[in-house]
Amino acid sequence: MIETALALLRFLLGLGSVCLLGYACFALLVPNPRDFRTLESLCLSFGSGAVALTLWMLLLSWWGLPLGLILSLVPPLAAAFLGLAVKRVVVKGPEGSEIPNPISSPSTSTPFQAWDWVFIGLLAALLLFAYFRAVIYPMWAWDTIATWGCKAKLFYQSRGMDLTCIEAHNYYPNLVPLLLSYLYFCLGEVNDHLAQGLFPLWGALLLGMLYSFLRRMGLNRTQGLGVTAFFALNGTVFISHLFIAYADLPLAYFALAAVGLLYLWLMDAAPRGALAPAAAFFAGLAWCKYEGPPLAGTILLAAFLTLVWLRPPDWKMRLLKLGIPILGLAAGFLPWRLFAAFRHLEMGADHVRNLYPHQLLESVSYLLRALIDPFFFGFLWPAAALALVFSGRGLWRSPRLFPALFLGGNLLAVLVAYAVAPTSAAEFDMYVRATIDRLLLHITPVAALLVGEGVKDYRVRQQIETT
Amino acid sequence: MSILGNWRRRLFWLVIGCWVGQTIWLAWYYAPDLREMAWRVVQQRAGAAIRQEDPFYRWVLTLAAVIPPRDTYIFLDNYEAGKEIEARYHLTPRRHVLLPPAAPPSFLFHALRQEKASYLVIREGGKPWSSSDAAAESAAFLLLPVPGQGLVFKVDYERLPGLFYD
Repeated sequence: MIETALALLRFLLGLGSVCLLGYACFALLVPNPRDFRTLESLCLSFGSGAVALTLWMLLLSWWGLPLGLILSLVPPLAAAFLGLAVKRVVVKGPEGSEIPNPISSPSTSTPFQAWDWVFIGLLAALLLFAYFRAVIYPMWAWDTIATWGCKAKLFYQSRGMDLTCIEAHNYYPNLVPLLLSYLYFCLGEVNDHLAQGLFPLWGALLLGMLYSFLRRMGLNRTQGLGVTAFFALNGTVFISHLFIAYADLPLAYFALAAVGLLYLWLMDAAPRGALAPAAAFFAGLAWCKYEGPPLAGTILLAAFLTLVWLRPPDWKMRLLKLGIPILGLAAGFLPWRLFAAFRHLEMGADHVRNLYPHQLLESVSYLLRALIDPFFFGFLWPAAALALVFSGRGLWRSPRLFPALFLGGNLLAVLVAYAVAPTSAAEFDMYVRATIDRLLLHITPVAALLVGEGVKDYRVRQQIETT
Repeated sequence: MSILGNWRRRLFWLVIGCWVGQTIWLAWYYAPDLREMAWRVVQQRAGAAIRQEDPFYRWVLTLAAVIPPRDTYIFLDNYEAGKEIEARYHLTPRRHVLLPPAAPPSFLFHALRQEKASYLVIREGGKPWSSSDAAAESAAFLLLPVPGQGLVFKVDYERLPGLFYD
């Protein structure tokens, strides 16, 4: 019992250190971290910390230094806090935000309503179930055993990124395996069931971030909690990814942060300097999973098209500012690619061999079925489609065009990906069934943002009609 | 209230109603998981203890005791069975090479020599694979007395004639 408690303490201290590192990086990147609410800072800090820590571990491996707890954690922590101290001395900018912070305004001190408690209770019950479901069972899911968990175990055992003894998609980016191996260093052993507890916590941070973005979009507390619960408790895909230790949940988290921060920036509802933390999440996208860079590309393309279409007064300057997330994307993409090139790791080319038009047609029906089948995502995608339809012509005159373009572009990209997938006719059905839920999971939290817009519209119209 | 507004309201409540139904269905869907989790916590059969319930895992543990950590082994199995990835996971950092059990003996011998593999593991040892027959007949292979479902051979790969395969 005491051993379990100590292991849990080590695990929590390890995660706390990642948050601390992330908060230091986050505070370095933004003009004033107090522009962000505590929940937002926590949710954004963990992602920034995970990116910084694992990129540092990659550098250590590149230099041939053995991975370990002290060497992995202390230098980046020291550097981040030194940078923070220097920033405090050198930069003496104005305190406070230029943008009013809707979720830290006095209205948030209103007492909780009964529905708030209902939604909080539902979310707490889900996360508690997912946490125990994750830590009671050892790693068992296919990709966890075959790739993410296997690499993590190997990195821990070899104290470096030695990929010579296995062939486990060696060219895949390694944010998740390195973070898991860091947790093994914290625990002092390969305790894969306890380390799996990372994923429900990651899911909780995703939900916290979704709620924060919804509040900044103008939803009140009850609406924000309601849409968050509507997202979390709709279908089985998100719930199962809370405890199976795949890299798709972290990728969905990074995608939500990158899209959400850019969306708020386009709406002029983001805190000052929001593009800099967004850049960290673009880095996370590229460093988390093979699908990350194309996903980041669609985010940037959607933002570019939105700016060119809407032409806000400062649109040219804004186009230039998109260079900040592009820099982040490069920071997450290049180190691993260079490492792989120098180590002569063979890069996979699963999806770029040929175009198979019949697969394109078949995948349309698979995609439509996955979007409306309640087993996958419940009623979330139909609700997002309704929100878009009811946006009417306003869609073309507001930044809401951005998430709509992002989602539409990605659904199209999913179809194209299946059209170029080199599978036999007999395998194609199985291939699509095994992957489509995960591909949609990456973008589903963004669909929840659209649902939030729909709820906001509905309430506004209700108020207009009653007056 | 306009007709469109009415429709909007009905659709809104329809979606909410569907969601409430979905949430109840989710509770029913995950109820067996919840029951088993509670049973495991009460019985204190959680975490690493769960793996011990699997005979394949117990067999892999015996392999880990036989194959030194720096050695290479060839695992003869179908990828689709999903057992090979489990074996690889539990046997890291040993170097792992997968071959299908229907691979002809000539290719198996070639692979053993090329990969410098000191062990050959056949998961379904009871099945009539031509490779396992060839291994049993060759002097370069020594069948180890490892209890369990599969066959484990110690291989002297330098004695194998497998420098070239066409």
